[in-house]
Amino acid sequence: MWELLKKYRLVIGACTICLMVLVFYSLNLRHKREATALERTLLGVLAPLAGGAASITQGIDRMWSDYIDLVNVRAENKRLRASVTSLNGRILANQEAILANERLKKLLQLKDAVQAPTLAASVIGEDGSPWFRTLIIDRGEEDGLREGMAVVAAGGVVGQVVKVAAGSSRILLLTDHASGIAAIVQRSRARGVVKGKGGDRCSLEFTVREDDVKVGDIVITSGIGQIFPKGYPIGEVTMVKKGDYGIFQTIEIRPAVNLMRIEEVLILVKQPHD
Amino acid sequence: MINSLKFTFIVALALLLQQTLLPYWLADPFQPNLLIIFVVYLGLRGGRRGDWLLALLLGLIQDSFNGIYLGMFGFTFLTIYFLLRSMADRLYTDNMQLMILVTFIATIGAGLLQLVLLLIFSAADGLYASLFSGLLPQGLVNALAASLIFSCSIFSFLEKGR
Repeated sequence: MWELLKKYRLVIGACTICLMVLVFYSLNLRHKREATALERTLLGVLAPLAGGAASITQGIDRMWSDYIDLVNVRAENKRLRASVTSLNGRILANQEAILANERLKKLLQLKDAVQAPTLAASVIGEDGSPWFRTLIIDRGEEDGLREGMAVVAAGGVVGQVVKVAAGSSRILLLTDHASGIAAIVQRSRARGVVKGKGGDRCSLEFTVREDDVKVGDIVITSGIGQIFPKGYPIGEVTMVKKGDYGIFQTIEIRPAVNLMRIEEVLILVKQPHD
Repeated sequence: MINSLKFTFIVALALLLQQTLLPYWLADPFQPNLLIIFVVYLGLRGGRRGDWLLALLLGLIQDSFNGIYLGMFGFTFLTIYFLLRSMADRLYTDNMQLMILVTFIATIGAGLLQLVLLLIFSAADGLYASLFSGLLPQGLVNALAASLIFSCSIFSFLEKGR
């Protein structure tokens, strides 16, 4: 008998354990809703660890998903920025094209109105010194320019070509102190010479006191001197002062063309006397 | 050779800034004259034999782009250069504040010299009004530009070995 038990001890042991567990199980069936001491202990011990682990897992999960989101958002942001930049560029280019179109249209109208042959030029530089008023344009001797030619824009007179190089020239603006243009007041036909006063100002000199000149009068070229054809607007009278003595009156003129922001000009290639 | 190229490049860059970019962004009297800053540098820290020729060349370059009187800036720059050269040994030219102050004074001096030249040799009446109104702002802007340029020490290659 002993020998038999010894021979089958493993099987017997296993069956006994299974039976005990089965008994344990059957005994607990009645208290299936309540936690046993063992369950409570294990839960008590494991709960904080499980909580920590859960937090870490959630954290990692959140971090991962946030990172993925962030990567997506960043990529999307980049795309949107590029799109905004491109659209802004297009808007600016469109606006610039519209403005250039308007300017060139005016210049073309002027070109059609002018009898003499003309040449359009773009301004490529300005005088860096505050007390001189000159511009650099992109046309020169190769284009047929010569010193002394008249320069006009859509609004009126700009100045004269003074220094001509092969592919560029300089324009002496009518506001430069060295500039002088024979002029008449359109309404009263009073004569004078428009001289530059620096900045953005000119004056009508040598107009006698008796001549009728009022604020708001338009001053035009007189054609005397044969540089500018007759009738081009030079500017508008902004101030008239007649002193108690003296032969001439003091007249200030605001140029018809905004010389500070001029971009394209028209050069009258053929002189009136040619 | 490399120094000449550097000098040419810097002058070209300064001219480009002065004639095209700065007039577009800066209001009228606040446009710096960058070339006079070079002259001040040459006068105070230069001292090589041909520096006066450089000063004259700078003036003539300036003349080619400003006003209509060729030689006016040439003369002015040369005068400023020689004046500064004669004083350079008595000044502590390593001091940046002094360099900036001298730039300001040189700008004012050059402007006044030009006024005298214009009044004597041209019939530009009333020029003094626009010159005086533009001189002080330009002096201040030049001083500001000088402080930036000197702090970068971009033309230390012009200095004589001291």
